[in-house]
Amino acid sequence: MKRREFLKDIAAGSFLLGLKPSLLAQEGSPPPLAQVDGDSPAAITREAIASLGGMKTFVARGDRVMIKPNIGWDRTPELAACTNPEVVKTLVELCFDAGAKEVTVMDHTINQAQRCYARSGIAEAAKAAGAKTPYVNPFRLKKMALGGQWLKEWEVYTDFVEADKLINVPIAKHHSLSRLTMGMKNWLGSIGGSRNQLHQRIDEAMVDLAAFFKPELTVLDAYRILVRNGPQGGRLSDVKLQKTVVAGKDSVAVDSLGATFFGISPQELPYLEMARKRGLGENNLEKIRVEKRTV
Amino acid sequence: MKKERSKKYRGLQLLRILSQTIFFGLFVYLLFGTRFTGEDTIGRVEIFFHFDPLLAAATALASRTFFTAFALAGITVLVTVVAGRYVCGWICPFGAVHQFFSFVFKKARLLRPRQEKEGKKEKRDGRRLAWKYYLLVFVLVGSLFTVDLVGIADPLSLLYRSFVTGVVPWLASVFSVFTGFSYGVGLASVGDRFAQFLGTLALNQTFQQGFFLSLLFIGLVLLNMTRERFWCRYLCPLGAFLGLLARWNIAKVRIDEKKCIECHLCTLHCQTQANPYPNEEWRSHECVYCYTCAAICPTDAVSFPAATRPEKFEVVDFSRRKLILTSALAAVAAPFFKITPARKRAADRLIRPPGALPEPQFLQKCVKCGECMKVCPTNALQPALGEAGPEGIWTPVLVPRIGYCEYYCSHCTQVCPTGAIKELSIEEKIKVVIGTAWVKKDRCIPYVLGSPCIVCEEHCPTSPKAIKLVKTEVKLPDGTVQTPLAPIIDLDLCIGCGICETKCPVVDDPAIYVTSIGETRSEKNRLLLEILKPPAPPDELNQ
Repeated sequence: MKRREFLKDIAAGSFLLGLKPSLLAQEGSPPPLAQVDGDSPAAITREAIASLGGMKTFVARGDRVMIKPNIGWDRTPELAACTNPEVVKTLVELCFDAGAKEVTVMDHTINQAQRCYARSGIAEAAKAAGAKTPYVNPFRLKKMALGGQWLKEWEVYTDFVEADKLINVPIAKHHSLSRLTMGMKNWLGSIGGSRNQLHQRIDEAMVDLAAFFKPELTVLDAYRILVRNGPQGGRLSDVKLQKTVVAGKDSVAVDSLGATFFGISPQELPYLEMARKRGLGENNLEKIRVEKRTV
Repeated sequence: MKKERSKKYRGLQLLRILSQTIFFGLFVYLLFGTRFTGEDTIGRVEIFFHFDPLLAAATALASRTFFTAFALAGITVLVTVVAGRYVCGWICPFGAVHQFFSFVFKKARLLRPRQEKEGKKEKRDGRRLAWKYYLLVFVLVGSLFTVDLVGIADPLSLLYRSFVTGVVPWLASVFSVFTGFSYGVGLASVGDRFAQFLGTLALNQTFQQGFFLSLLFIGLVLLNMTRERFWCRYLCPLGAFLGLLARWNIAKVRIDEKKCIECHLCTLHCQTQANPYPNEEWRSHECVYCYTCAAICPTDAVSFPAATRPEKFEVVDFSRRKLILTSALAAVAAPFFKITPARKRAADRLIRPPGALPEPQFLQKCVKCGECMKVCPTNALQPALGEAGPEGIWTPVLVPRIGYCEYYCSHCTQVCPTGAIKELSIEEKIKVVIGTAWVKKDRCIPYVLGSPCIVCEEHCPTSPKAIKLVKTEVKLPDGTVQTPLAPIIDLDLCIGCGICETKCPVVDDPAIYVTSIGETRSEKNRLLLEILKPPAPPDELNQ
């Protein structure tokens, strides 16, 4: 019953927020979190960024921007194993509109990179918008001090560290170990080494990585979400059409809101609580102001 | 007497070199194009093989079926019957390799052309030319007894295999060194470009026996230091095959005896010991029409007139006695190849690519060319050594510790030149079972450490997953009991792709591994009988 109560609270909370936003929010300042529903992945992404005050809030003129989607699997967008290509494309466009000098879209894939880049539709979409879509380059792998509580050092692709601005664009999916994979888990695609050994303490690893990368912006693609057989699915029946994106600077908050799409309370996910304690963000949805829109 | 070399034949010689360069270039182009280029279907990158009448004949003999793509080999046969062995001299990429290195060795003075000696020695040299014919007979008679050995010695198979398992990995290493060097001297942008280029080419760099296969190739190239085009002269069974056809062709060498100053340069520099001088000793079946003799002649005495009536020339120089002996030897040898237990029961680690025919038929058709090993996106397909018995040497075997079978990939089934791997669409391929995964509970992390891992389950590509996570009681060294989620295989769902074994964090000896049981292609290597399987639940959304 806990979950149901929680959802009720969410519903009530969002009702209140919707009713009197001015009471809770400081007048004029953009909200920390935006959730936009709608039929077009591009339009909801655009609207979500607009709700947060536009891409100029995050990207400055002349920036070299790195966008990190999830391109992990050799799966089509319909199967919801990789980030929606339209969402990625829209973000690339917004970055260029905001004056970015260079936008790169990249991920350390699990299946063969060429296949994942092609079948996910992300490489084509990102290129069409003018982004570079290189494959991860083993020569750019460098062992770095992560300063984590558990992960002291690990091999990281320096592209993700050297970019002026980092934007995380995960997709919301079921995962049998961390229960859900969203923004924080997405950073496992920025590192090299024996990634599969992190699974033995996945929560700690996720928090340490999230603390290390600190993206400028996290945009959670929940247009299609993978509700079972994660993280790669394989059947359309594993996919639920949620038609939502969540965006915000606080990636813990983004993941917390994303969890509710699966009927899971953020408090059930230990890594979100660990992240909050580390000061990475807020996992208590009652304390987060969410701007909800529909386009 | 006018002393002048022929401009016409010099021109033809250059044209021949151009042709060899183009066809070798095409061979390399198709080799590098044998990879994922963004599409699920791949063009006919294996087309060279289909022009090879030896492969066509041997696989047809061994399998008692004719693969229609080999109809193209008819063109090679026709050209050879009509015009002679132009294919060897102008088109064959392996011939080009040997000719190139013969040229280099000659220029480096490592190879000194020798003339056939009078008397006994001459006979010996002539006899050496017959080696390739015996090899051809051995291969063909072997095929008749369903032992398909053609792939070992066929020049295209040999060249392609050597490139895939030796030259390409070597090139990739060299590229890597250049890339590293670029970063080292501060040219990061050059390094990035190199690295992306390498990534796009998707070169497989890991091959068991790669070193050995490379040595074999290098050895064949180095033999050119003893005789020009050593392989083509003495060993090539395809050359022998075409040689047998090149008797009635219309292009004949003729030496104008009025112009000839008997300098012997033509015969001395003949690349395949075809003996243009004197006229009656010319070996039509050895000539590859490289035009070296005509171009080198100081008095323009050598020409290649069209002649319907055969000039007098030497016939193939092998003894009937030896021919019969070789055939008998092949017939006697064939059963030896079948002593292996591989014939008795399926080998556990003999995981064949999806679409591979049942093992006996597969062995009759596979020519060990390595096309499938080149195109495999994960480097999983490896040349077998003993896994498939002696006749299965260098046939493809999937080694999950090196790579796994990519779920949405059927490239190996598309590039197989002989149909040993049946062509499959992606939809057909994902239903093919190539093996079954098993968990080693004494090595698996949850079973041993009591802590979570789930890596195999996460990577399992089927939906629903063939690896299920079940809470399992585990005793730890301190006597306490943990209940971690531990993997259990659903045998009904496992397709044997091997990604679980590839990605298992227990790297040295993976805690989950695939064996061949359950493979679709075999009726015997089964665990679950069809009749015992529950009917598949309907998947409404996918219909």
